[in-house]
Amino acid sequence: MQITSSQSGALNVATLEGRLDTATAAEAEATLISMLAAPGLVLDMAQVRYVSSAGLRVLLKLAKEARTKGAAYSLVGLQPAVREVFEVSGFDKIIPSYATLAEAVAA
Amino acid sequence: MDVDTLDHTALPTLLDALEAYAEAQELPMKAASRLVLLADELAANVVMHAQGASFFAVDVSRGPDAVTFTLTDDGPEYDPLGRGEANTNASLEERTLGGLGVHFIEKLASSAHWRREDGHNILTITLDAAAE
Repeated sequence: MQITSSQSGALNVATLEGRLDTATAAEAEATLISMLAAPGLVLDMAQVRYVSSAGLRVLLKLAKEARTKGAAYSLVGLQPAVREVFEVSGFDKIIPSYATLAEAVAA
Repeated sequence: MDVDTLDHTALPTLLDALEAYAEAQELPMKAASRLVLLADELAANVVMHAQGASFFAVDVSRGPDAVTFTLTDDGPEYDPLGRGEANTNASLEERTLGGLGVHFIEKLASSAHWRREDGHNILTITLDAAAE
């Protein structure tokens, strides 16, 4: 999984590409935790075609970490199949997500 | 396919094979996604928790309306369908990830069946082949 970083205003943006699964989760977690700082981090998920529970574990950990650091944290551009995983697992209730980066930044 | 080395390459190998299968079969997006997710979750349980298991095998077949996959392993007797449900209404503080694999089966599969035979766990899952 590839992760590239950029900025949108004051927010860090992490653009992920590929699968977020058992094989890629540990490295993704380390990279994303290092990018997570106030005022916040947005994960652009538009190029992520697959998230398994190992991937959800990373996203949950980031959410808890964000709370500890007082940083905003949200996801953008979930693909429909990935959004289904979020809804079925109930993660849509605990991690904010938006259709576009503009909406995430404005939130 | 048979996976005889239950190390960190086992799951990516499985996922690659299932993605290729879904593409070759031209499965619609959600059907493909559910197939890969469920097989991944259940095979991961074998790799991580099945003490002494030496392999798992995944067989996939396709009918006009359904995709069926069977996961076979030689680990200790374990019926994943007998477990309780994940708490998906918990808040961020309370939330853990236990039980998600079974939860995904309950929400995403058309049917699920487990049996024990000749020292193997055999789990058969059927999915709607038309799910978009």
